[in-house]
Amino acid sequence: MRSPSSQSRDTVGTTLINHWQRGVPVSHERVFTPTLIFFAVLAIIGLTLSFIRFVSPLGPFSGMNDAYAWGIWKTFNVMTLTALGSGPLALGIAAWVFNRQKLHVVMRAALVSGFLFYSTGLIALGFDVGRPWNFYSAIMPWRWNYESAMLEISICMPLYCALFLSFEILPLILERFYYTGNDRTKAMLVRVSPYLRRMYPFMIIGAYVIPLMHQSSLGGLLLLAGTKINPLWQSPCMPLLYLLAAGLCGIGFVTFLLLITCLRYSRALDVGVLIELSNLLSCACLLFLAVRFVDLAWRHQLQTAFSFNKMSFLFFLETSLIAIPAIVLRFKSARETPRTLLKMATLACLGGTLYRFIPTTIAFDPARKASYFPSLPEVLISLGYISLGIVGFGLAVKFFAVLPGDNHDWNHVFRPIGHIALPLKWLRRPSRTSVKEIPAKSKGETPSLVSR
Amino acid sequence: MSVALNRRQLLRGFAGVGGALAAVSTSAAASEEHPAHPVAPADAIAMLFDNTICTGCRACMPACNEANGLPADSLMSGGIWDMPSDLNSKTKNIIKVYEEPNEPGYAFVKRQCMHCLDPACVSGCPFDALKKNEWGAVTWTGSLCIGCRYCEVACPFDVPKFEWDHWNPKVVKCEFCFDQRLTKGQEPACTAVCPTGAVIFGKRNDLLAKAKNRIDEAPGKYFEQRVYGEHEAGGTQVLYLSNVSFEKIGLPKLASTSLAHYATKVTSVMYKWLTGPILMAGVFGFAIRHNWNRHEAERPDREKKTGFPDQL
Repeated sequence: MRSPSSQSRDTVGTTLINHWQRGVPVSHERVFTPTLIFFAVLAIIGLTLSFIRFVSPLGPFSGMNDAYAWGIWKTFNVMTLTALGSGPLALGIAAWVFNRQKLHVVMRAALVSGFLFYSTGLIALGFDVGRPWNFYSAIMPWRWNYESAMLEISICMPLYCALFLSFEILPLILERFYYTGNDRTKAMLVRVSPYLRRMYPFMIIGAYVIPLMHQSSLGGLLLLAGTKINPLWQSPCMPLLYLLAAGLCGIGFVTFLLLITCLRYSRALDVGVLIELSNLLSCACLLFLAVRFVDLAWRHQLQTAFSFNKMSFLFFLETSLIAIPAIVLRFKSARETPRTLLKMATLACLGGTLYRFIPTTIAFDPARKASYFPSLPEVLISLGYISLGIVGFGLAVKFFAVLPGDNHDWNHVFRPIGHIALPLKWLRRPSRTSVKEIPAKSKGETPSLVSR
Repeated sequence: MSVALNRRQLLRGFAGVGGALAAVSTSAAASEEHPAHPVAPADAIAMLFDNTICTGCRACMPACNEANGLPADSLMSGGIWDMPSDLNSKTKNIIKVYEEPNEPGYAFVKRQCMHCLDPACVSGCPFDALKKNEWGAVTWTGSLCIGCRYCEVACPFDVPKFEWDHWNPKVVKCEFCFDQRLTKGQEPACTAVCPTGAVIFGKRNDLLAKAKNRIDEAPGKYFEQRVYGEHEAGGTQVLYLSNVSFEKIGLPKLASTSLAHYATKVTSVMYKWLTGPILMAGVFGFAIRHNWNRHEAERPDREKKTGFPDQL
């Protein structure tokens, strides 16, 4: 019944069991699992190297050169991975603008993952630019070059992450303080809450308009590269296609993330929400493909696509990765099978990220003979930022009510923040935190703190 | 109270959209900021390089280094003399040679910034570190540059170079000796020192006429009977005459449309007075307000049914 691959259909009636009703923290798992420690080590290596990079020139550190001036920190961590972090944009628009109310329950997972993708991307950007100390110009509008896509990105991305995304994840942080805090905290939060609710609809307008701008500007960046980019990708439609790719990657990644985390933490799945997500995913893929092919036909590049060289192979790889989920998820049986949905969401994410990555590096042919391959520190730093995001998500699901679950699974007791220091427990006397604080609500599950 | 506030703000939003739309429609008739084929202003300066005159003496290279305070790039020569392999962070100007395989003869080419009429690097530079100055010289201001290297991605001529080996990296490119010589009433170091007149300095219109005159006087001498830079990437302020194909001497084949026009023709309309974003915010705001109010109205019921406070 609780296994994620088991059927979630109501055995009596025809209605689906609605398992995802609210955010519920993962309280029956250890905080520091070997996997999390592995990623934490990767993140520490990456961050250490980043700080070495800060005092060292870019040249010896990375594989970048004057012909390939942008390495994977920009092209992969920022231009590609923020597409996966566009879940709050795509699902937020679906939920709040198009009133798909089922999606409200997965917004928290989308928001936290999106915030982590954006913030790690921005850290990557901060270490990638050569003269970051001049970035204070960002708060001086008279220095702005309003027609530069780069300006749009360098201002809107930090603004979106620091203001709008942070505001959107504020409720889930305050919720924890409300339930764990003393009476004064509670009273204060009760007083603040109506103001937050009043601001909320206005803030989410910004939270949707601003990423629409910068996600399309990421494609707009490449317009200036002109003929350096293969004609299969270089197109005036690139801003729109980058935006649509962000949409499909965002939906695909949230689906993927929910499926694997629910599998990992033994949460029941909610077929109703998953059907909604897969329907959206398939529509986003179809829309992307339609625009892609109309654009190719409009620019008379369809024969280039069928010329069967390296670039046409890449085009087919990317297109089929998006086309397969688009078609398969049209079938009801596929939408209702979590295993198929997981595969299709993975394919869609791969296809969308490939579309975003290829024109920046693989299909980028500079004026002179040169090559680029990321150096080892470059790769380690890039992996370090991704690992930092994974660690962040791993901690967030355990300390905050991020993952969707049943209402009755949770009695609003949060894991004490002191659990973050648990790896050190063999170094000190037994923790004073009461075991009873985390009761075993779910059937058959032993609270891990008791077992240790 | 809150609904009234929302409505007033919404109305203000719509008024903003209307104003912006009106502004766009009135300014549409005004001159385009990035025309597809920009016209050089009358005071635009230029360089004309004629590779049938260049003897490859490379006198312009040390002159350039001296005027710009650049070190000698002596990596290839084992630390003996300036011997750059291409434009790089120590070289703003270079003479390169092209040799025809299996045939006698060779051709020289002088490479430096082309000072486009509508430069892609200037249009992409986020904080105007690169800008088009008086007479059309494209210069770089270090205090504004964040080192994003978008100029390197954008430049179709592969000109801006980044100091990869420096902790405080500069973007190095020919600036037409703007601060060093032009503002003092002198011509650029390279044209001043050229002993044969292979590269000459003057007003762009004059030099273009001169170049066309040279073609007319010696039909068949020059490749394709045309001046490179007249139309390339919307036109450049460095003009080339060559007796071999321009592509062979490393000048890329480019369309006559300015890259800045291509990159901004859609976004400049969408972002004019922030019309697109404001319009989008208006539409979203309308739907969000509707859905939000319903969500809030249903909240007490929902909370009563589940017994838990609503989560955002």
